[in-house]
Amino acid sequence: MDWLSRQFSTRVIALMPVAIAINIVLGYTVQTVFKLPIYLDSIGTIFVGVLAGPIAGALTGILSNLIWQYAPGIGGGTIGPFAVVAGVIGLLAGLWGQLGVYRRRPAQGTSLWGPVAVAIVVILVLASRIYGNPVYDDPEYFVSWYSTAILIVAVVLSAAVAVAAYVRRDAAAAWVALAGALTGVVAALASAPISAYVFGGVTGGGTDVIVAALRQGGTDVLNAALGQGFFSDPIDKTITSFVVFVVLASLSSRLVARFPLGERLLGAESA
Amino acid sequence: MTVPATNEGITPGVPEFVARHPTGAYAGLSPTTKLVVAFTEAAVAFLVRGWTGPIAVVLVVATTAIIARVGRRMVPYVLATLPLVASILLINTFLFPGATDVIARIGPLIPTWSGLEAALQATLRVVAFALSVAVFSLTTPTDDLLTDLERRGLGRRGEFVIAAAVRTIPRMLERAAEIVDAQRARGLDTEGPRWRRVRGILPVAGPMLTSALTEVEERTMALEARAFSAPGRRTVLRLLPDSAAQAAVRWMLLVGTFVVIIASLTGLVRVP
Repeated sequence: MDWLSRQFSTRVIALMPVAIAINIVLGYTVQTVFKLPIYLDSIGTIFVGVLAGPIAGALTGILSNLIWQYAPGIGGGTIGPFAVVAGVIGLLAGLWGQLGVYRRRPAQGTSLWGPVAVAIVVILVLASRIYGNPVYDDPEYFVSWYSTAILIVAVVLSAAVAVAAYVRRDAAAAWVALAGALTGVVAALASAPISAYVFGGVTGGGTDVIVAALRQGGTDVLNAALGQGFFSDPIDKTITSFVVFVVLASLSSRLVARFPLGERLLGAESA
Repeated sequence: MTVPATNEGITPGVPEFVARHPTGAYAGLSPTTKLVVAFTEAAVAFLVRGWTGPIAVVLVVATTAIIARVGRRMVPYVLATLPLVASILLINTFLFPGATDVIARIGPLIPTWSGLEAALQATLRVVAFALSVAVFSLTTPTDDLLTDLERRGLGRRGEFVIAAAVRTIPRMLERAAEIVDAQRARGLDTEGPRWRRVRGILPVAGPMLTSALTEVEERTMALEARAFSAPGRRTVLRLLPDSAAQAAVRWMLLVGTFVVIIASLTGLVRVP
């Protein structure tokens, strides 16, 4: 219980409403100002999870979706039923925070490219589970270009990991990208049944085009929703994780250390 | 100062401008009752398969909207569902897997009756859900709901997080617009190719997050100065009206909804 109460210190309680507001406002801004087919509505959730812990992160995610759905004047849309998915994202972010994934690891040479190679291999293995799976080549269920498109997404993600690690000279970029990709895959698995059975696979956003393309190929509702999730969620969560990582790296150590997982983020516990 | 007549004895000694009890046939109900009604409507709309669930919810919501006199104010909530409804109708009608009951052949487009039925059912569920959200939002001020939940054991931390989040959102929307304008003046591209727009995310998200953390520090000190983490429960001044009848209705709604959903999902009771 002490582990649980530490996640809800006054500072974390003060951070949570701000994080919830950031989720809603950034998600809205990305879709209306930048007009990008990604969500970016989990930045605050991952922020709280990494700084405070899994339960605080999960609650931030769940409350973000419920407030966005029901609050007067700003409510509406289809975000409410996905509160469970947001909770899972916050839970995973807390796990990555506990493991110190977002801790800076300045490195060069083998110390830098070793973790990058591991991250790239894991991303490509995840993609290969789709690319090599006969289900995703079955013309009755998926369009012919789907598995190739997943492979392209994996290659682009891997290249982004390598570039980010090289530019920042920081091996943590590899682990952050891996954490983002894994979070995206889990989020896709969690959101597909909700999207399929509650909204018939569509949510009114730009990603409905992917669902339509998969349905055109003959895919059923659940697999179309899952296919769309595997496309957009890993990209979205990887970008989100990188944004959180860059912002955390720019904060002062004194500020970060005040949060429950702050010292783990700074690496002070192992010093 | 003369203390005005109190609110029908619900909270003796508390003046009316503090108590501020909601009035109206539906709005005057306990906020927790309205919350339970909203959740059960959402659950029935989405989890009772077929036409019966969403149609029943639409009828109930329409009735409560008329009683509460919020019908016209619900229009923006319904209009907000139009993009989703359009997606649902198009994708399901023209791309419903396995359907062979063709309505017509319009070049490459082949709408089917099965797809249209599925589309209309899904549309009805979405509209029913949107209407239930609208009625709840328009008849239940957030402060009233949180006060009532705190009295029922929510805790000051939960009450603070929800209330502060709802109040912070409008300010943060303004700040986001200011940050976007400032970054556009510094060359941020929000209209160009997709890869350039993606690069604009960090220049907007970064300042928002760092300025938000500064606010967190100030707010933490303000909360601690007001004994936020002191043990014990706060005294709730505003006691919102409730009754044994409303409590019974809440329990009946929760249990009844649970039974209906289980019966529908397991096929024990088949409804059209």
